[in-house]
Amino acid sequence: MTKGCGRLLVLGCETCAAMSFAGGQRQVAELASAIRLGRKTSGDEGEVVEDAIARQCEPEFVDLIEDEVSECDAILSLACGAGVQLLAERFPDKVVLPGCNTTFLGVTEALGVWSERCAGCGNCILDKTAGLCPIARCSKQLLNGPCGGSMNGKCEISKDVDCVWQMIIDRLTRLGRLEMLEEIFPVKDWTPAGHGGPRKMIREDLKS
Amino acid sequence: MKSGSNLEGILESGQFAVTAEAGPPKGTSPKIIQRKGDLLKLCCDALNVTDNQTAIVRMSSISGCVLLKELGVEPILQMVVRDRNRLALQSDLLGAAALGIRNVLCLSGDHQKFGNHPSAKGVYDIDSIQFIQMVKAMRDEHKFINGEEISGDVPFFIGAAANPFADPFEFRVTRLAKKVNAGADFIQTQGIFDVPKFIEWMKMVRKRGLHEKTHIIAGLIPMKSVGMARYMRNNVPGLSVPKELVDRMADSKDPKEEGVKICIEAIEQLTEVEGVHGVHIMAVAWEDIVPRIVEEAGLMPRPVV
Amino acid sequence: MTINDDSMEICCPPCKAACPILTDAREYIQLIAERKYEEAFVSIRKLNPLPRVCGRICTHPCEAACKRGQVEEPIAIAALKRFASDGPWAGRYKGVLPDKRTGHKVAVVGSGPAGLAAAQDLALLGHDVTIFEALPFLGGMLRVGVPGYRLPKDVLDEEIQAILDLGIEVETGVRIGEETKLANLFEQGYKAIFMGIGAHKDRKLGVPGEDEVEGVVSAVFFLRQVNQGENIEVGNKVAVIGGGNTAVDSARSARRLGAKDVHMIYRRTSEQMPAAKEEVEEASHEGVQISYLTSPVEILGNAGGRVSALKCIKNELGEPDASGRRSPKSVSGSEFTLDVDMVIAAIGQAPDSSLVAEEVGVTEKRKQIIVDGPYTLVTTQPGVFAGGDAVTGPATVVEAISAGKRAAIAMDLYLRGEPLPTTGAPKTHETVILPRPIIDRTQPFARSKKVSIPVNQRLKGFGEVDLVLSEGAATKEALRCLHCYLGAKVDSEKCVSCLTCVRVCPLDIPTTSKMGEITIDPVACQACGVCALECPVRAIDISLACRSDIARDIEDGIHMAQRSGLVIVGFFDLHGNFGSSHVKSLKQDHPNIVPVMVFGLRRVDTSDVLKAFESGADGVFLAACPPDADPFPQEADRVKRRVSHARSLLEALGIDGGRLEIIDMPAEGLLEKQSVAELIQRMGNSGQARSA
Repeated sequence: MTKGCGRLLVLGCETCAAMSFAGGQRQVAELASAIRLGRKTSGDEGEVVEDAIARQCEPEFVDLIEDEVSECDAILSLACGAGVQLLAERFPDKVVLPGCNTTFLGVTEALGVWSERCAGCGNCILDKTAGLCPIARCSKQLLNGPCGGSMNGKCEISKDVDCVWQMIIDRLTRLGRLEMLEEIFPVKDWTPAGHGGPRKMIREDLKS
Repeated sequence: MKSGSNLEGILESGQFAVTAEAGPPKGTSPKIIQRKGDLLKLCCDALNVTDNQTAIVRMSSISGCVLLKELGVEPILQMVVRDRNRLALQSDLLGAAALGIRNVLCLSGDHQKFGNHPSAKGVYDIDSIQFIQMVKAMRDEHKFINGEEISGDVPFFIGAAANPFADPFEFRVTRLAKKVNAGADFIQTQGIFDVPKFIEWMKMVRKRGLHEKTHIIAGLIPMKSVGMARYMRNNVPGLSVPKELVDRMADSKDPKEEGVKICIEAIEQLTEVEGVHGVHIMAVAWEDIVPRIVEEAGLMPRPVV
Repeated sequence: MTINDDSMEICCPPCKAACPILTDAREYIQLIAERKYEEAFVSIRKLNPLPRVCGRICTHPCEAACKRGQVEEPIAIAALKRFASDGPWAGRYKGVLPDKRTGHKVAVVGSGPAGLAAAQDLALLGHDVTIFEALPFLGGMLRVGVPGYRLPKDVLDEEIQAILDLGIEVETGVRIGEETKLANLFEQGYKAIFMGIGAHKDRKLGVPGEDEVEGVVSAVFFLRQVNQGENIEVGNKVAVIGGGNTAVDSARSARRLGAKDVHMIYRRTSEQMPAAKEEVEEASHEGVQISYLTSPVEILGNAGGRVSALKCIKNELGEPDASGRRSPKSVSGSEFTLDVDMVIAAIGQAPDSSLVAEEVGVTEKRKQIIVDGPYTLVTTQPGVFAGGDAVTGPATVVEAISAGKRAAIAMDLYLRGEPLPTTGAPKTHETVILPRPIIDRTQPFARSKKVSIPVNQRLKGFGEVDLVLSEGAATKEALRCLHCYLGAKVDSEKCVSCLTCVRVCPLDIPTTSKMGEITIDPVACQACGVCALECPVRAIDISLACRSDIARDIEDGIHMAQRSGLVIVGFFDLHGNFGSSHVKSLKQDHPNIVPVMVFGLRRVDTSDVLKAFESGADGVFLAACPPDADPFPQEADRVKRRVSHARSLLEALGIDGGRLEIIDMPAEGLLEKQSVAELIQRMGNSGQARSA
């Protein structure tokens, strides 16, 4: 991706990307070094410089590196997709490349282990499912699960994937609220989940 | 009568039903379905045409159903929510009704990961229970899921699948109840090997009175080999194959015969169970054996309604 | 009471830092803005024994330092001091004497501002104080130097009486150094002595004819007669030599006594003139002519020996002298003669220290009493302290008060046998420079106009020329204050670098580093409160009316509100045009309305509104000040949107949105009478108040 890009800025992001060990200053150093090494062998020209800002999704932080960017030909951003795009918007005359694959919203189970918890569907039902999300964690996003494939508390797709509906049933039972599942969950409106088009949120009371 | 289908007629008249499967080909030749239709015409009351079963792309189940109808065989249209959103599902149902298909089985579908296009986007716009509700509303209220009027009748006999052996065991009956409340007229279960366990489940089903609200058709899978028995025991989620049966298959000199025997034994037991109103024989890649099983189980000839 | 280096805060507002007695002008100005006039007076009086005097004649170095001056004009701090001190509430103040008296007798020589300040503070420390005054009346230069049109004598009397009421003894008509020497005082049992004898001796002009011709008087002598109400012969054409306040006092007094032509002769330029600019302005209004760069050369008399003319010479500015000012050099050939029939010499005073010079050291040239340092003020004689004009030469009232207070501390330590404060030069503070962009974004508000009697009425007598500010003018003026150093401070532990403060500040003050460290320039911040409110993690604290104050006012108010009928909480913008009487009548006429005063509706958060309902309010309104009085009019729209947001939350809770309103305050007052009735009716007719 960075071949022939000339003077390259490897730009880290110190919030989510850093905490996912994907894009903090440490990863920037690693990746920049790797690229430099690669360039040594390939003979690809151009200095590789490093920097990071608190968050690449905020215009004020991006503005602070304007001068630095003007001296580069391309930016390899280690932010999430949002940060990469804001950089590209702000510096339309520079080649902006994504260094990370942005995947999911999740929790840290332990150092180095993260798992998906939230699909950002815009209409939270966690009150009805004992705090376990079937949109994010059911492979078929069933609202009236489980399906016939749930076995030993595992999802049919893999032994490593818990069947969230099993977990929901267990937890509701524990809370004495299992009868909540007698009711049929109505069909979901997928619009707030992004199926209505790209999403935007405006808080009129906060606008400056 | 809700749909006027043969299956409905038999079940509603209190008779024991027999259904089987006619899986479509991974190609365009109508002959495959036609052959299965011819084979099973006399020994079954209706035939399920599967819908991209195990997420492997095959000829569409609607076309399979049409081919069967042309032969005078009553089809059961299987539809999964994995591949179509609510627009396509409703649209296909309208088409199916127009084409004279009268039985529909509403399913979730196996996850696309299992099939031959594992990187496909799974749709799952609605789930199977919401699907059942939707078909019922189309039939009984003439309404689309968005509340708009449907012109013409949508006469479907609505079916759903049930798996008595899947986890969580206690919840299965609740799930069945949800499907029945949603509008399931008949239920076809996953293949039963552990009959006593199934009988236990039926007890719970009867306790909730569900056997009176819906027709439960017990599923059966005749085993061909010990390898198949082992595979199903170890690798297929939702199938509970007791070790004794695997051993029987292993010990037998003629595993196929043993498999048929086991199947017939099961049928005989199941006909005695209160609330079981039929059997569904899933002889995958072994359709030829079905007429014999039906015969030897004493279920021939099939009633005419 | 203490005034030493340690009381200088790290962020001392420029007004306080510039004041010789560290008056917390910022504090009393805020109290005036909050309509808490009595508290404002207490704030002033606890430090300053002569606030009504200072409010009238102080040179107000605080105003020169005032940051507001960089926007348009400084706050009229002295006028506000006068407003707070002249009010009827001031009479209620009582100084608190300590329970245990020390039993030490202390003598204070001289009853000018230095002596009075020393006497008060020593009395408050528990000592037995006696003031010895040479003249028959107290006050020093305040009495005999400053004319009544600047400082009415009855005002001075009341101020002095309040000090004496602490139990201070007085002996007038006693000139220490004559019959009673300092040594005698010690013999009489006085353990320590303060010398505040001022500078009452005029310097001679040093020109021929000064002593020979009649009609040449010293300003001190002239003013003393004027202020004692004695009959003085004043000529028709009077020349006053000098450029200080004494010269101006003499000139303006001469005008009142009937002199038709009064001419001030000053050897340097108007910029270099030491007299207060306001004084010089008023003198001009009153018809006094001023000749700059002019020096007297000779006083000429007529046949009768009476002064008839003054020969003068023009100057030009040459090299700077010891004071740093460019020295005037006479221009040869530029002599001219002025017809005069009276000459008043006001070129500077010196202490009349000859009588005590035997006992304490004085400087050779200027005869000023020598002290060892500004915080010890000990003369060459142990146990004898000195301060004020007697030590520094002619200076200002507040510097004299400062000296008296410092001496009191030193003397108290001395009496208790403790070491005196270490000598050292007082810290100087840098001026705070407001960045240009901030000045540009600051809404300008004109300074309150001085209200004076028309000139033609003034010259009839010595009645006070300037009037005290009206309540409306005073509160409006006080609201111009920029609240130096009371602004927003970010707690970096809590801050999550969300950049909200950067985005909402109406003055664009907060900045961020690349890593999200927020800096809010304390010099630029005007404590508007918006960032402290909007910060989603409550990491910003504001010292001007912090957020918890509002919450407390709501609770306390509702607690005290009358419960029959609807309880309505009203947030009133202090920038509205209302006085304390309006607040009083609102509370009387509508005890069910709970007024909560805020520095702008921008200070009221959604949670404050909800808290009001939570605490029992049936309705809430936000009363906006007239837009031209709002220092942050750009926030009005934000307030509207926030209220809409609050309203939608209320509706979601089943509370009718009609129970929350934004209304406009009338041009005068808190609420229009009719509006109140309608408001209460509207809220009463709204749907469900709250879930039962």
